[in-house]
Amino acid sequence: MSRIVLLFVALGLGAPSVAGQTMDPATKELIDRLLARIDGLEKRVAELEGAKAPAKPVVPATQAIHETHERPPVSQAVTAEAAPVYPSLKIAGFGDIDFSATDLHSAATGFGAQTLLSPHSGFEEGQFTLHLSSALSSRVTMFGELTLTARPDAGTGSPPAPGFNPEVERVIIRYDLNDYFKLSFGRYHTPINYWNTAFHHGQWLQTTISRPEMVQFGGSFIPVHFLGSLAEGAIPAGGLNLNYEAGMGNGRGQVISRGGDFSDINNNRAWLVNAFVRPDALYALQVGASAYRDELNPLTAPAAREWIESAHVVWHKETPEFIAEFANVEHRPIGGGTVSHSQAYYAQTAYRLPWLQKLWKPYYRFEYIHVPKSDAIFRPVVPTFHASTYGVRYDITTFAAFKFEFRQYVRRDFPSFYGFFGQTSFTF
Amino acid sequence: MWLAVVGTASMAAQAADIAIVVRPDVPVNNLTFGELRRLFLGDRQFWTSNVRVTLLVRAPGAHERDVVLKNIYQMSEAQFRQYWIAKVFRAEAASGPRIVYSNEMAVDLVGGTPGAVAFVDADQVPKGLKVLKINGLLPGAKEYPLH
Repeated sequence: MSRIVLLFVALGLGAPSVAGQTMDPATKELIDRLLARIDGLEKRVAELEGAKAPAKPVVPATQAIHETHERPPVSQAVTAEAAPVYPSLKIAGFGDIDFSATDLHSAATGFGAQTLLSPHSGFEEGQFTLHLSSALSSRVTMFGELTLTARPDAGTGSPPAPGFNPEVERVIIRYDLNDYFKLSFGRYHTPINYWNTAFHHGQWLQTTISRPEMVQFGGSFIPVHFLGSLAEGAIPAGGLNLNYEAGMGNGRGQVISRGGDFSDINNNRAWLVNAFVRPDALYALQVGASAYRDELNPLTAPAAREWIESAHVVWHKETPEFIAEFANVEHRPIGGGTVSHSQAYYAQTAYRLPWLQKLWKPYYRFEYIHVPKSDAIFRPVVPTFHASTYGVRYDITTFAAFKFEFRQYVRRDFPSFYGFFGQTSFTF
Repeated sequence: MWLAVVGTASMAAQAADIAIVVRPDVPVNNLTFGELRRLFLGDRQFWTSNVRVTLLVRAPGAHERDVVLKNIYQMSEAQFRQYWIAKVFRAEAASGPRIVYSNEMAVDLVGGTPGAVAFVDADQVPKGLKVLKINGLLPGAKEYPLH
């Protein structure tokens, strides 16, 4: 292909006067593009030749004659250049700056800071996220995710001043036996929910400004983090592409929005299973379900056994995009008492518009959480509400976006309210 | 003259099928289109337990890349980049595909890297590499899916 381009441009340069007299703007633009491409190719060739030159050993003449008979084919000679180097650390980052304005005139009562709900309008620095990945060998890989999050109470002094809270969100070391079985240890985003493991702390990756409340960072409805071990793999299953995960870990801490990062708070490990299919016949479809079991010893409620069942349906494309999830959380007090069931779900759809260079994507999300009065564990920390989110995303570049949202919240025991939100998010 | 040259080059590029090439020691000769898609999505990461897949992808602007993005990924350039950023961020892959800048570079690296797979212009496949069948078809066949 590059030879054709070179020939084409050579012909063009050979007849500049003719081209100059008859060239229309489109042709001129084409020539400019091709010349730019040749420049790029020449630069690349120079880089490659430059990179190879220092590595070329000086070979004595006698040895060179000997080597002409033993030199490996070109393909083998490339092996050293193509061979991977371990460890191979790669760093990526995500960030976001937010704006919010609501008619909320009191405390947010259960909604975490990440939802951007506050009685005051203003800007907020979201999360500054660093992601590290490194292959340690052909079978062993390490992943890490670090965040700095602005908080009203993370600074020094009394009362605490605003500041930034550092957190090791994920650190995982994984051993890949093959596609069917991979074993890892570390701190994860609990894989019992699609959103929690699809977007993590990369706000730029998700279409919307905020996560659904059922998976909100700092929220309590599902355990967002999980410290332990995970086995995972994928099986073709006749074109269904069945993926599975099975894990065991510490489960929730005494503050149930936090994982048991420093040992477990009891002698009962949490366990989970998660499975989903991505059928060949319906590329972009993902359907899955999960189960999670733990024993809770919360600070402010009686001990209870927790059982979570969840399911999701996702259409990965953008014309349209669709994500829906449901979760049921059962709390069964160990000392006896009423068994409670709290439910949450959301459905989100978006569509990448075909006009205006396909940079605009309007979206809508409905979400719902219901906590019964019998649930002593969730009642103080999880709001019962339903909300609608109307928004639009504008991709200003391939790696940065603007998002604008209007949200309307209807709460069970508190006044309803609405808010306007803006965000610019990016990856680097 | 200009238009004639442009037209000829464009038609030639469009007519060429894209071949999926591997080293002869890769223990696979045929892939279904679904298996090919899983391979290029990074969902299938091993040929066998001992041989990991190394995915080579042409740099933006190459006709071969356009064909693969359109037919296999069904993504735009921006969606393709976001897909791989997200995949690495989800800890499903340690890195994205390796970028190659020409068919020559692609076939050289395939020949020198155990488990490497690349897509190249079917007219530029050198001897010594294996062309995988897709749904039992080689490039040039009537129903071959990559062109």
